[in-house]
Amino acid sequence: MSPESVSRTEQFVLLLAQHQEPVFRYIFSLVACEADARDILQETSLALYRKFDAYDASRPFLPWAYRFAYLQVQKHREKAARSPLLFSEDVMDLLAHDRERMEPELDQRLQLLNRCLAKLTPQDKELVTSRYAMRQGAEEMMQRFAMSRRTLFRNLELLRLRLHECVTRQLQSEGLS
Amino acid sequence: MNRESLIHATLDGEITPEQHAQLEALLRDDWQVRRLYLELADQHARLLQQPAVNTGRLKQPSVMSRTARWRASALIASGAAIVLLAFIVWPRSAVDKEAISNGVAMVSDTLDADFAETAVRSGDAIAPGKLTLNRGLAQIEFFSGATVLIEGATQIEIISAWEARCVSGRVRVHVPPAAKGFLMHAPDVKVEDLGTEFALNVNGQESAVHVFDGEVIAHVKDKAPASLKGGMSLASTTAGVSPQEFLPISELQGLIRKREQRRFQQWQTWSEGVCDDPRLIAFYTFQHTPGDRWDRLVSNFAAPQQKLRAGGAVGAQWTQGRWPGKEALEFKRPGDRLRLNLDGSYTALTLSAWVKVDSVDKKYNSLLLTDGYDNGEPHWQIYEDGSLMFSIIYRPDGITRGGDWNQIYFSKPLFGPDSLGRWHHIAVSYDNRSGQVIQYFDGVEVSREVSRLHHSGRPITYGPCELGNWGLPTQGHPFPIRNLNGAIDEFAIYAAVLSGAEIQSIFENGNPK
Repeated sequence: MSPESVSRTEQFVLLLAQHQEPVFRYIFSLVACEADARDILQETSLALYRKFDAYDASRPFLPWAYRFAYLQVQKHREKAARSPLLFSEDVMDLLAHDRERMEPELDQRLQLLNRCLAKLTPQDKELVTSRYAMRQGAEEMMQRFAMSRRTLFRNLELLRLRLHECVTRQLQSEGLS
Repeated sequence: MNRESLIHATLDGEITPEQHAQLEALLRDDWQVRRLYLELADQHARLLQQPAVNTGRLKQPSVMSRTARWRASALIASGAAIVLLAFIVWPRSAVDKEAISNGVAMVSDTLDADFAETAVRSGDAIAPGKLTLNRGLAQIEFFSGATVLIEGATQIEIISAWEARCVSGRVRVHVPPAAKGFLMHAPDVKVEDLGTEFALNVNGQESAVHVFDGEVIAHVKDKAPASLKGGMSLASTTAGVSPQEFLPISELQGLIRKREQRRFQQWQTWSEGVCDDPRLIAFYTFQHTPGDRWDRLVSNFAAPQQKLRAGGAVGAQWTQGRWPGKEALEFKRPGDRLRLNLDGSYTALTLSAWVKVDSVDKKYNSLLLTDGYDNGEPHWQIYEDGSLMFSIIYRPDGITRGGDWNQIYFSKPLFGPDSLGRWHHIAVSYDNRSGQVIQYFDGVEVSREVSRLHHSGRPITYGPCELGNWGLPTQGHPFPIRNLNGAIDEFAIYAAVLSGAEIQSIFENGNPK
């Protein structure tokens, strides 16, 4: 490998490491399934690497990466075309377009999310830890919290709604000041 | 299952195919559901990826007491959840909330008015509270039907649709029969109107009342209520009242008309100069020319005259524009449109228009659209959330449909309760080399963007196109309903990018006020 291509590879790894998180969020919003989104992220990373020579370093990386992610999502859709749990193409298009426009706002929301997480009650924090940090499955969590499946998912829903509401409130009060 | 639960079930992988179809239909039809979904999905995706964020402040449970602690917290958690479910009505997202207003009156007309409360404009609904007019004139119409004319400097407090207080300054009140019983407070006196017109002058703690017509009951502090009839006054020593000092309500209308005429003339002089701008492809000012007997013709005033670029109105009716005497074309019904045919191929564009949007009631609300949507054809619309949406498409050779080739540029939402039903100036510019799209609202830049799909140098064309609607239906095919609900009274199409200062100048020269 020539020194130039080494630095090009390094450049790619750096960019990818920096942007993998938002690319995952982009993919997830289109497929709404964690396992699928992770697979598609892998495929996307590979495609980005293969086409990295065509990347114009003077332009932002993320929009470029989203284009590949979008194509990979479409490929995945074609492979799993019969899956009833995938959005149809027109809905995906709508979501992709809307998301692109909302991106600055979504980024702002995530910055406020940390503040809202810190405000959670100890019970809610346990729920977050169990579901997201420890990656416990439904059965495990039902046992751990001694809850029925229904209650568990209802509690998770309420927890996420509280976080969402908290972020919206903070966003509004920031907008006012 | 409600919308929110459907979204959460998807995030948790707990959704059934039927529920998925239900959610998909909601996402397809309602941008507010999409917004909520995207916010929740993004939050969920972040949590999935950044456990460190969440656990950083959490104490690690000790191994010994783990089970016991979990049991305890599970009890608390489920207990808390039951309490929450039972007593807290979760603030529902905006999705199915009805729009509300706490207005009790509206500012119906103003003349050179300067309010201390910023952002009060003619046509605004006003909620209970203080309203201070530093100078100028303003007419306030209470929802009860009472009309109050205030002259600067005056402060009034709006209490309800039936009650107001004059804190200082001069007001003239007109109460039609329907608003009989309207109450006007002033220091030491309360005036109950029995259907009439009266004036009130408040100077410090002193008040004076003069009745022009009809009857009022004056409730003076520590005195029996007194009836005042037309021509009578009730005045203390310091606050005198002389009827001729009060401007009759009819006179305000006269002053407003005069100002409108002046603005209209200014605009005419300005627009005559604009016609000679060589960058114009077409300039529609929506004015009948004296010799025009065919009511459907919308002349192109760009010089030298190009008759082929004149527009033909279909369905759309003539209505009053920004000023009395100035015409506009109103688009109301699904078929209403203004047909154009613009030849040529261009490297840049600026579209500039004065529009009054009455309602954003379709998914896409047309401004200027070419028939169909072929390579290099610009489309300019108002999206369902009230944002301006400019788009242009370039598909690679041989591809006629599908794929991600559509460059779409949105502004933030601009058309909402505050801006509907009023005249606003909107503009967009696009340069095919830089790819930059800039949109403007009332002379101010509201978006600036280059699409990730942009490639330099691809031509812009119009061909058959129309204002206020989209496309001719091909035989036997339905067409999407995209007609504008509103009116257009000026539309200019340039073959160049106008600067921000030029757009600002168009706004200032055409501003109805």
